[in-house]
Amino acid sequence: MSAAIIFVILLVLMLTGMPISISLGLTVLTFLFTMTQVPIESVALKLFTGIEKFEIMAIPFFILAGNFLTHGGVARRMINFATAMVGHWYGGLGLGGVLACALFAAVSGSSPATVVAIGAILMPAMTRQGFPAKFGAGVITTSGALGILIPPSIVMVMYSVSTNTSVGALFMAGVLPGLLLAAFLGFTTWYRARKFDYPRQPKASWGQRVKAFRESAWGLFLIVVVMGGIYTGIFTPTEAAAMSAVYAFFVAVFVYKDLRMSDVPKVLLNSANMSAMLLYIITNAVLFSFLLTHENIPQAMADFMIGSGVGMVGFLIMANILMLVAGNFMEPSSIVLILAPILFPIAIKLGIDPVHFGIIMVVNMEVGMCHPPVGLNLYVASGITKMGITELTVAVWPWLVSMLVFLILVTYVPGISLVLPKALGMM
Amino acid sequence: MLKILDHLEEWLITFLMGAATLIIFASVLHRYGSGLSIPGLQDWLLSINFGWAQELTIIMFVWMAKFGAAYGVRTGIHVGVDVLINRLSDKNRAKFIVIGLAAGALFTGIVGTLGLRFVLENGAHYQILTWLGRDVGDLYEGPTTPDLEWPTWIVYSAIPLGSYLMCFRFLQVMVGFLRTGELPHHDHGHVEGIEEEMVPVDANPYDMGDNLHPHDLVHKQMGGNGDKGRKNGKGDGK
Repeated sequence: MSAAIIFVILLVLMLTGMPISISLGLTVLTFLFTMTQVPIESVALKLFTGIEKFEIMAIPFFILAGNFLTHGGVARRMINFATAMVGHWYGGLGLGGVLACALFAAVSGSSPATVVAIGAILMPAMTRQGFPAKFGAGVITTSGALGILIPPSIVMVMYSVSTNTSVGALFMAGVLPGLLLAAFLGFTTWYRARKFDYPRQPKASWGQRVKAFRESAWGLFLIVVVMGGIYTGIFTPTEAAAMSAVYAFFVAVFVYKDLRMSDVPKVLLNSANMSAMLLYIITNAVLFSFLLTHENIPQAMADFMIGSGVGMVGFLIMANILMLVAGNFMEPSSIVLILAPILFPIAIKLGIDPVHFGIIMVVNMEVGMCHPPVGLNLYVASGITKMGITELTVAVWPWLVSMLVFLILVTYVPGISLVLPKALGMM
Repeated sequence: MLKILDHLEEWLITFLMGAATLIIFASVLHRYGSGLSIPGLQDWLLSINFGWAQELTIIMFVWMAKFGAAYGVRTGIHVGVDVLINRLSDKNRAKFIVIGLAAGALFTGIVGTLGLRFVLENGAHYQILTWLGRDVGDLYEGPTTPDLEWPTWIVYSAIPLGSYLMCFRFLQVMVGFLRTGELPHHDHGHVEGIEEEMVPVDANPYDMGDNLHPHDLVHKQMGGNGDKGRKNGKGDGK
């Protein structure tokens, strides 16, 4: 009963269009005030202690690192390297774009940021070379989604915060699915480019490739710092994030010199703005999940699901549909923070691995970012290409279909996610 | 006066973001540096205690989150579910936008008050009376944080200060909206203006006229017939 009341309040508040963080907070206040004896003072304290976790601090650090990389010329050199490697195949710059997105995703934790960084350079270049604008937009919008699957990933940190799963294991688990999805998207690009005979790049000599690699090496080394650092235990994920922020600053300002020192405060402010927005959602989501636990809702729902005889397969289908629907209304961080506390206990009871379930959630979020009405990647791409959303939606579909196939694969083959962290002994 | 507040807010969160990063960077360097057996340097490094770094970073980020959330109201970055209200007519959408802003002010106002009461009960009241040289009676002196041993009421005062500021920002945005029909946001031109392949430093992926933010009354959708509208709008890059 109380579950129904809570969700109705939340839904009504959210649909009025107020910020998600505010609707979560108001739901909690309304319910606690009218229905329970919980001292309401504890709410204020929770607003502070809710984010008093060192793990959460990885989020602002990764955002800061990502912003330095976006504006610091790292993306441009990665694109040059990627195009030198694969640009002579069918798909040319488009295929290079998929690879560049995968590389950039390995240093950045956010999907829309990946679209901004790679798309802003590559999409105009592709149009100049004679690709239809639709093709470039389709490639980059979907490949940019790799940003949250290939570690580091802000959405994975969110999932780990709300379910107490190891960030390190989640990061490692994202590597193989990320590469596989890149291969899926690359294949779609290759296939369509061959069908319509789009321009290819002249084959780069090995000398040019080595040169492109050396130029992008400063950025690529960050992959080693973050993943190597976390895997060997030199850094905790949060420390790795802070190190990568300082490293990215150093590379952008002193090595590539694409960012002026006078721009640094702006980058800091912009990162702080975005981080604060996400942290504010987290604080209120922590309050909300405190309310759910207090009312025993996740437990009751888990018992209900088990009792109704829905097996693992049925539950995963339902979870996927629920998350895809949610992807029509909210952005990934909010969905993970609201749905993870509810779905996670059920998944555990049904014997689904916590890390595997995290990867399923992340891939679902990726799909949601690439279709209207709220797909963030789509809006970023629209901002860059000046194409309308309807037009972009049509442009994206071939890649979106291959993404959905990939989603089914990842959902029902846990091995893809779990083989690497298991082999590395992280779980 | 308001300008000073605006700048203070921006300056504070910029500083907290940069400083927290440097502190963690320094503490990691310190941890591995003191493992190197360089005479002199090692002794010096071992004599510095960095145990407080983690706690200080967390405090700084919580402060950044509270004041940054207030700044976020001013820049219109907070995401919501705006798919439905963005399909309403201007007149009806305006009502919902005002309701949303009022709800924001209400929530942050309540939380600020709760936080203020909590801070007062946990040491602030005691401290203020002590400063004034008054009798503290049986008031509680309040706990301190584990590593830095700062009084927690100072640390927690981020909640009332940040929340009241956020409340004020919501009201400010509401008044602005009622007067002009505009909500704060960056122009799309920031990203649209990319001609020379360099992303402007303040381009923001959460700022794209998507359905995560309410469209205000002067909003122009990009592409399609939006192109015609944009020429009279402000977002044109050329």
